[in-house]
Amino acid sequence: MMKSRPLLLAAIGLVVLALFPVLVENPYYIHLVETISIYAILLFGLDIVVGYTGQVSLGHAGLFGIGAYSAGVVIMHFPDTPFVLVPIVAIAVTALFGAVLALPALRVTGPYLAMVTLAFGTIIQILINEMDFLTNGPMGITLSKPTVLGHEMSDREFFWVVAFLLVAALLVVNRILRSHLGRAFEALRGSPVASDCMGVSVYRYKVYAFVVSAGLAGLAGSLYSYSEQYISPNTYNFELTVLFLLAIIMGGRKTRSGALLGATIIVMLPKLLDDIVLFRYVAVIFAALVLVGAAIFVAKGRSTLQRVAVPVVGTIALAGISFVLSNITDWRLSIFGLITLLVVYYLQDGIVGFVRSTLGLHGHGRTDAEAAALLPSPVDAVSTSVAATATPATQDLVAADKVLMQFGGLKALNDVDLHVSRGTIHGLIGPNGSGKSTMMNVLTGIYVPTEGAIAFKGQSIVGKTSARIALAGIARTFQNVQLFGEMTALQNVLVGLHHTYRSNLLDVALHLPRYRREERAAMARAYALLKFVGLESLAGEEARNLPYGKQRLLEIARALALSPELLLLDEPAAGLTAPDIKELVVIIRKIREHGITLILIEHHMDVVMAVCDIVTVLDFGQKIAEGTPAAVQANPQVIKAYLGGELDASIAH
Amino acid sequence: MQILTQLVFSGIALGMIYAVIAFGYQLTFATSDTLNFGQGEALMLGALVGLTLVGMGVNYWLMIPIVCVFGAIQGAVVERIGVRPALKIKSEFGWIMSTIALGIIFRNVAENVWGRDMRPFPSPLPEAPLHFLGANVRPMEILVAVGAILMMAAVELFNRRTIWGKAVVATFNDREAARLMGINTSLVITFSYALSSISAALAGVLIAPLTLAGPNMAAQLGLKAFAVAIIGGLTSGMGIIVGGIILGIAEKLTGFYISTGYSDVPGLVLLLIVLAVRPAGLFGKATIKKV
Repeated sequence: MMKSRPLLLAAIGLVVLALFPVLVENPYYIHLVETISIYAILLFGLDIVVGYTGQVSLGHAGLFGIGAYSAGVVIMHFPDTPFVLVPIVAIAVTALFGAVLALPALRVTGPYLAMVTLAFGTIIQILINEMDFLTNGPMGITLSKPTVLGHEMSDREFFWVVAFLLVAALLVVNRILRSHLGRAFEALRGSPVASDCMGVSVYRYKVYAFVVSAGLAGLAGSLYSYSEQYISPNTYNFELTVLFLLAIIMGGRKTRSGALLGATIIVMLPKLLDDIVLFRYVAVIFAALVLVGAAIFVAKGRSTLQRVAVPVVGTIALAGISFVLSNITDWRLSIFGLITLLVVYYLQDGIVGFVRSTLGLHGHGRTDAEAAALLPSPVDAVSTSVAATATPATQDLVAADKVLMQFGGLKALNDVDLHVSRGTIHGLIGPNGSGKSTMMNVLTGIYVPTEGAIAFKGQSIVGKTSARIALAGIARTFQNVQLFGEMTALQNVLVGLHHTYRSNLLDVALHLPRYRREERAAMARAYALLKFVGLESLAGEEARNLPYGKQRLLEIARALALSPELLLLDEPAAGLTAPDIKELVVIIRKIREHGITLILIEHHMDVVMAVCDIVTVLDFGQKIAEGTPAAVQANPQVIKAYLGGELDASIAH
Repeated sequence: MQILTQLVFSGIALGMIYAVIAFGYQLTFATSDTLNFGQGEALMLGALVGLTLVGMGVNYWLMIPIVCVFGAIQGAVVERIGVRPALKIKSEFGWIMSTIALGIIFRNVAENVWGRDMRPFPSPLPEAPLHFLGANVRPMEILVAVGAILMMAAVELFNRRTIWGKAVVATFNDREAARLMGINTSLVITFSYALSSISAALAGVLIAPLTLAGPNMAAQLGLKAFAVAIIGGLTSGMGIIVGGIILGIAEKLTGFYISTGYSDVPGLVLLLIVLAVRPAGLFGKATIKKV
């Protein structure tokens, strides 16, 4: 019942799309819907970058242009190229440029990336303009509809080609984004550091995201050139790239329906602004809608008069202005700018997001969690990847020698030795700023030590990336929680299980048995891991909505998903209530029983004393003591480090 | 050789304009971690308002302070409408979109008010070139360079010598701490935007006699100034002057020896390379990420 409704809707949509050019004879409308479909394909891709990985791209008009010109150039220089090859060439070329665009994106984010992508788009436009030997320069390229088997397609037939590719793109993108690949993209946005420490290489997946996104832009571009039958450099300008971004934000991030809606809006908007009478009607209706909506929101107490004042006044003013102006076309960009402002501030989750939250609908996150609960539970949810036979038992699991970590003049770690024996719980304590978390960061590859050697299972890990170290068997939690906030608890753990997937893009796109098997196994194991830390009832909840203590437990479950041999817990008890702490102690012991070695940073001494086999004490970046908890506790130097000053007789006793 | 020297001189003048706009980026980036993507439009508006004033018979030197006032208001408007709400709702790229949107609106309004055509801007100095090192240097080019440096020096002096300036610097260093010390940081941010737009508007008045004034005069200027800010580093004052000059000269040389169509390319390519290799800029300090 739950599932049949979307299926029915999809079937109706398909039939309407297929019959559209038969029912509507007017080529103008056929072309309009065709353009919307083409933009939608591009927006699916843009949403991967903007919505999922959270990067701003102002370069997608450039990528769209590369796609269009790849097709145009191929057709102009090699007119005999079969039609099927043209989009493939366009996708390949554009994806290559996407990889180039991803290179700076690896180093920078936010406004920097926005400017870089903008620069990229501008360069592309300049190159298309200037390289006339290849692109025919500002004159543009004229081409005809594709010819298949000696027959030139009619407008209607080409519409079906576009419609088919739209549906195919929708399906493939949807499958990618709901798979482990999509979760990896989303994890980048939530916390890049945590992604790396879960073995999901930020570098690799950023490049993937840009490449897939660019590939779709290339496909859209090649279709666009056939659809318009004329391409010229000035189409792919700054306004178009902003228009694409507006479509994503206005339609709604992270939904395919949002991209479709956004495409419809940005294609219809200029048409609307060409017709002043129509625009007046729409502006009045829009203002009335906003007014009524605002009134309902205020009456229900979901918003305040102050908050709704600006959009209400703004839309009414827009409607008023439309009656004053006799020619709206000249003011097209201003209106488009105003809409952008309104959307950015009042419709952050887009129309689809707004409708969803108003109607209380949930995404697939929750239904997935319900489905996972029904899967048979695996016996070995908590396990270490490699059997303990890999190294002789006598050898230390971690052997860090003379580690020096220097930040400018500050030695955060100064000649620290740390040896951790397999199967132990190793406490790491010390006052604030003593270098404990720095040690964690050095062990997990976030910092590269200035000097010193670190071996894990006898192999040096100095200079290896965090992702590789994570896959080698070191998992961690973070002092300041680093969950993937917009993802559900279950999805967070699934990111930790990323390493269990061998499926590639093809497996995912076609839902081949390998992918289905791996997805089912990962789901079941993720759910079992949540059960292990007592969070199974919250599996479908977004991580950011969990209480603080539960977030810490979720981090542990996510880290365990890596099947680590060594688990680093950075202040797991911080912010936990007394009963929660008791539960935590039980969980820590259970983890050790599964053969996992732990390093525990903790300020709660009772926890340290209760679970640790051996404790290392740091102070000002130096190791000042090491031994059993009781011995360390009695060590005068340790007491001095914690309490400061000279040893007082009353404390010593 | 003579041509080369001449290209270098006009490159320096152009580069100083980039440096001034980049300086505007630095001001707002320091106080609020945001910058105005419509900085080029602020420059264009300054030039067009100046042109209108001169056309109304206002003396050139009197026009400059009026343009500054206009710039301040324009900057404050951008901050209030475009940036503050975004900072309040902690939207990741809300302010990027909204300052872009404001820039588009400004440009479109300018097109409707002043028309799309590029118009000549009267020069306050004689047009006759001076001879210097065998090259012809237009007096206006010297004024541009001197004016740009004076403007940046004035702001620096203000920051160092006045209590108001100290509040700005405090906000640069640590917004939270400054707020706790009783500094009205949101006012400081508005102020930094006003200052940033003043410098852009002034740059517009300075450069307009050399180029032409029109709604699209600043199409790529904002982006290339960002390249300068990046090359110099968003935190280095000296860096943007050097960066600006490098880019200005590179552009003039490309434009002359290769093709004017490609003259925008070196700046953009330089931007991509610097960001890919050294994101903190050539002069900026790299920061350590904290976990």
